[in-house]
Amino acid sequence: MNAPLESGIGGYVPMVDGPEKVSGRARYTADLAVRPGTLVARLYRSPYAHAEILEVDVSQATRLPGVRAVITGADCDRTFGVLPIARSEHPLARGKVRYRGEPVAAVAAVDDATAKAAIALIRMKVRELPAYFSAAEALAPDALPIHERKRGNIEREVRFEIGDVAQAFAEADLVQEGTYHCPEVCQNQMEMHAALVDYDAEADRLTVHATTQTPHYIHLMMAHVLELPMSKIRVIKPHVGGGFGARTETLNVELIAALLARKTRGRVRLVVTREETFLTHRGRPESHIRVKIGLRRDGRITGVECDCIQRGGAHSGYGIVTILYAGSLLYGLYDLKHVNYHGVRALTNTPPCGAFRGHGTVNVRFAFESLLDRMAEQLGLDPLSVRRANLLVPPTFTDNDLMVNSYGLPECIDWVERRSGWRERRGRLPRGQGLGFACSHYVSGASKAVNPGSEPNATVKVRLDHDGSVAVLSGAAEIGQGSTTVIAQTVAEVLGLGLDRVHVISGDSDLVPTDNGSYSSRVTFQVGNAALDAARQLKTILLNAAARRLETRVENVECLGEHYRAGAQDTGLSFDEVAAEALRGGTIVVTGTYTTIPESHGGKKYLGAAIGGTMAFSYSAQVVQVSVDEDTGVVNVEKVWVAHDCGKALNRLTVEGQVQGSVWMGMGQAMSEEMGYHEGLMVAANMLDYRVPTIFDSPDIEVGIVESNDPHGPFGAKEAGEGSLAALLPALANAVHDAIGIRFDALPMTPDRILAAIEKRRRGHA
Amino acid sequence: MTRVLEIELNGERRADPIEDNLLLLDYLRETVGLTGTKTGCDGGECGACTVLVDGVPRLSCLTLACSLVHRRVETVEGAGADGMLSAVQRGFHEKLGAQCGYCTPGFVVAATALLRWNADPTDDEIRAALGSNICRCTGYVKIIEAVRHAAALQSKGVRARVARPGSC
Amino acid sequence: MDVLPNFSVTHAASIDDIVRARAAAPDSRLIAGGTDLMVNIRRGIVAPSVLIDVSQVAELRTIRADADAIELGAAVTLAEVAAHPGVQQHFASVAEAAGSIAGPTHRNMGTVGGNLCLDTRCIFYNQSEWWRGAINHCLKTTGAICHVAPKSRGVCFATFSGDLAPALLVHGAEVEVGGPAGRRIFPLERLYIGHARQDRPFSETLGDGKSYLGLRPREFVIAVRAGRTPGLISGYDKIRIRRSIEYPVAGVAVALRRDGPAFADLRIAFTGTNPRPVLLAGTETLRGRSFDEESRDRLEALVRDQVMSMKTTFTPGHYRRRVASVLARRSVARLFERGESD
Repeated sequence: MNAPLESGIGGYVPMVDGPEKVSGRARYTADLAVRPGTLVARLYRSPYAHAEILEVDVSQATRLPGVRAVITGADCDRTFGVLPIARSEHPLARGKVRYRGEPVAAVAAVDDATAKAAIALIRMKVRELPAYFSAAEALAPDALPIHERKRGNIEREVRFEIGDVAQAFAEADLVQEGTYHCPEVCQNQMEMHAALVDYDAEADRLTVHATTQTPHYIHLMMAHVLELPMSKIRVIKPHVGGGFGARTETLNVELIAALLARKTRGRVRLVVTREETFLTHRGRPESHIRVKIGLRRDGRITGVECDCIQRGGAHSGYGIVTILYAGSLLYGLYDLKHVNYHGVRALTNTPPCGAFRGHGTVNVRFAFESLLDRMAEQLGLDPLSVRRANLLVPPTFTDNDLMVNSYGLPECIDWVERRSGWRERRGRLPRGQGLGFACSHYVSGASKAVNPGSEPNATVKVRLDHDGSVAVLSGAAEIGQGSTTVIAQTVAEVLGLGLDRVHVISGDSDLVPTDNGSYSSRVTFQVGNAALDAARQLKTILLNAAARRLETRVENVECLGEHYRAGAQDTGLSFDEVAAEALRGGTIVVTGTYTTIPESHGGKKYLGAAIGGTMAFSYSAQVVQVSVDEDTGVVNVEKVWVAHDCGKALNRLTVEGQVQGSVWMGMGQAMSEEMGYHEGLMVAANMLDYRVPTIFDSPDIEVGIVESNDPHGPFGAKEAGEGSLAALLPALANAVHDAIGIRFDALPMTPDRILAAIEKRRRGHA
Repeated sequence: MTRVLEIELNGERRADPIEDNLLLLDYLRETVGLTGTKTGCDGGECGACTVLVDGVPRLSCLTLACSLVHRRVETVEGAGADGMLSAVQRGFHEKLGAQCGYCTPGFVVAATALLRWNADPTDDEIRAALGSNICRCTGYVKIIEAVRHAAALQSKGVRARVARPGSC
Repeated sequence: MDVLPNFSVTHAASIDDIVRARAAAPDSRLIAGGTDLMVNIRRGIVAPSVLIDVSQVAELRTIRADADAIELGAAVTLAEVAAHPGVQQHFASVAEAAGSIAGPTHRNMGTVGGNLCLDTRCIFYNQSEWWRGAINHCLKTTGAICHVAPKSRGVCFATFSGDLAPALLVHGAEVEVGGPAGRRIFPLERLYIGHARQDRPFSETLGDGKSYLGLRPREFVIAVRAGRTPGLISGYDKIRIRRSIEYPVAGVAVALRRDGPAFADLRIAFTGTNPRPVLLAGTETLRGRSFDEESRDRLEALVRDQVMSMKTTFTPGHYRRRVASVLARRSVARLFERGESD
């Protein structure tokens, strides 16, 4: 073993921005110093689920002393939406309201009390329309369209069949089908949505501070909606209190704040409440899934059939991607040959869903792995053996053209089998206690970004400064996942420098190259590769500079980080001396880029089947141990063993943290979290009823890191922050089955549902 | 009604004119400008706003500032000394008890109170002390490690054990 | 910042201060910890013009518990109750209940008086002003119907969720209240008048989820007291979906005394189910019996008849009722066994 490198690559490295966070110095959007004169914004939200707007009367609100502006849908006719083909939302509703909570009007006033008072004076007249709160209602033949352009309320329907599924089922020893239901869940990141927008009237320029994972997408959308050139907008991403996908698209919050700032020609702060953060939604859609699998006695999966209906909410958002991913990501985990998928994304009169961590795959994976566990039991097979009978052999392309070059799933399965004592303990635990197993995977960045023409996939600039420090300029959005740390580590590693020499400048569109942001687990892989490229270019420059000073050929120069020399006997040069030599020609800024290879984009053979194209998949295997109180239905999650193939752990501390966090987030969905609606009104829009697990409900999560060294990953790395979420749900459900012999096909597994199932079985036996 | 709030905040005496309906949370963030204390929910559900009043953790989002005349308030900004991190803060930093960092001030404050009256807490005691705080990033595993690490760091420094405020 | 409605705060130093302040502002509310009231103020559910801060009233800060009796002042914090050795030793149900309310930080704030008078709760009520307005409010505020039971004929089914009340009820506690007409002491059970049931129309004498406290205008709780019956042992247990922060899905306090193989005394009280804490009637019929199958059946029948949960929480009512019965049976069994060795 080599001694740990100064960059800490492969070691346990605390996050470079950690001290700011633990000391309370880190500034989030709502913390930014507010100058006198900053206006406070508040929103008027629709109390109606589906209605034609006849009038929005803001006359009284406008006249209230202290009110500086009131805007409505009349103030902006542009639509927004993250997918260029599905821009269905207005910042403030026009013509119609489509869900309870949709913003209709906004006020900017001198203080919060005045803004609130003005909101209370706004009157809205409507003609109510039939509202559809479930996918089934919205898809009914006689339902009115929620959006004119979407007849039948179908946002997207996708079908593909690859191979011959009917034949595959005929060749199976067991064909089983199951239906599964996952309710809507929400990211509920700790920081509420906020925006602070400055309008410089003299320069006609906006400065936007927002709680976002994708500052560049805000930049693009802001330019489109406000009809300003991008050069007239500066987007700053301060510290962000989590995202998990809720902030991977431009939200109405920042657009409304910008519209108000421009209208008042001033500075507007909009910090919405927790309830409003829930109403803005962008969570995982309620999904009804039917899955059918053919299995042979030797454990081989012969074919798969899957139907998925998602309740998408009132606007498109990422919906088309979600319903496509749900099908395409059936692939990539196991060697599947015959697959048939039918997905329907419905528009409904509920808040719009979005791209929640593990986007697209989580609910289908729950269904698939649950059914596979059931079938393994029926054939008397060990659940691990079934997975082992269906492994991919890298390098390969799946039948839907997804590229797989590294595949640590076998090692992941081995690790959890060993650490959990699966072979010795499974089936031997006391009644009421059980072990469950499942696997999952996720993309390391979508190979094709949602914006056409956004190649290269990532750009990083590295600047050598006269003080001998190295500045890394990156648009990657640090949201707590550690992107800043891993970028700094990458550059430091290449240059052989300590982290104290390298600092990352990010989060300001005036300073950094564009970056698509933090979603689809793209940062480590794509931005990491761009950083690697930039750092290598700088290293070449430094080696050449050293060669000039040492009067030798560049091949003879050895870089030891703080020291450059020509041969072991050479006294050599310090890094500062080399830097000074390099800078004699003037400023040095190198640009590193990363572009995914076309082979990773997925083919066009099957319409919609290859949208999950990525340069690399992460893999995860998990064993969950539970105990179930059969009198009360209370499930206690006692322990999770999870092995995650992240290619190469650039930072073991943050990899562990990401894996634990995603496993735990999956547990929340499995155990207690669900949005509920009363006639389209979100019932759990608070942190008491939306039950994020507390520290008492959270087990120890032991992480095994598997390193499959992806040939394209930076130092071999792949993603670590999403791939382990999906497996937790089925592993936990399978553990509950192991404990009490009942399978749960509906989440969350709250005590009332567990007890109802137990009592139903008792009645059956009686 | 307006009155002058005399208060000891992070070891310094202050006097600020305030309205009766001002929450301690807004007093700290807006009046004083100490924005380390966070707003995470619409009242009492997440613990991000936790501060110490006379050494006892309280939710500043449900506490009226005007009821704290002459009381001693400590926020996350008061945890360290001389610009350096406290043992608890260092524990959270080094063991990745903070990811996005938004809930962190509340956890740091609650853990600080815990380690004052229990210098070597068990995992169950750590859970019992942090049970009002929600974190959405870590799954709490590394938060528990962070507090254990902080206890170890603290024991290397001054080993202070005082009676738990608020208990009889 | 989310600015609160305007109100002024009076800091009371004595019981008389409170009486005077209440007389001066009839819509005033008492505040100590604020964990219930401030949330409701923030949600626009209540908007008193005056808050009377009683947290520093010395008389309300009394805490005493020993082998003979317990006395808890209204402004004693839940953390103080839970940590008190006398309470732990002699009034276990009270210590266990206090120590399990919400989360640790909440218990540093919340008080005895606040938890005893805890506002009843409902998913249609504990929501923002905007939210409640979107469905034309509900019976408990200014609306015309109960969304939980739209055919309820004027009855509100909001649920009482305080943990201390059942824990004290099984010890036969009395409550002392103060008000314009002076002080009075009465059984704690009479503080709760939410007797309304789905199968009966609303009447003034049988309160409901809205009219749930048996206090006269401007009265307030001063203290709660109970004597200790020798040999009586007690405990508290509850179910929550998450094991911290939230209110009970169902909570059960049990106190019992054994005489050899049989019950000499058995008291059971529930929370989280009805518009009031339910002190189970009819448990005296188990006196002289052991905890056998028939006792269990009788107990279950009593619970079935008296515990009534509606869909006021995210968790279905039938589960809360079912699990209340399970918890009762378990707690009785546990204490019955322990009673033998004591």
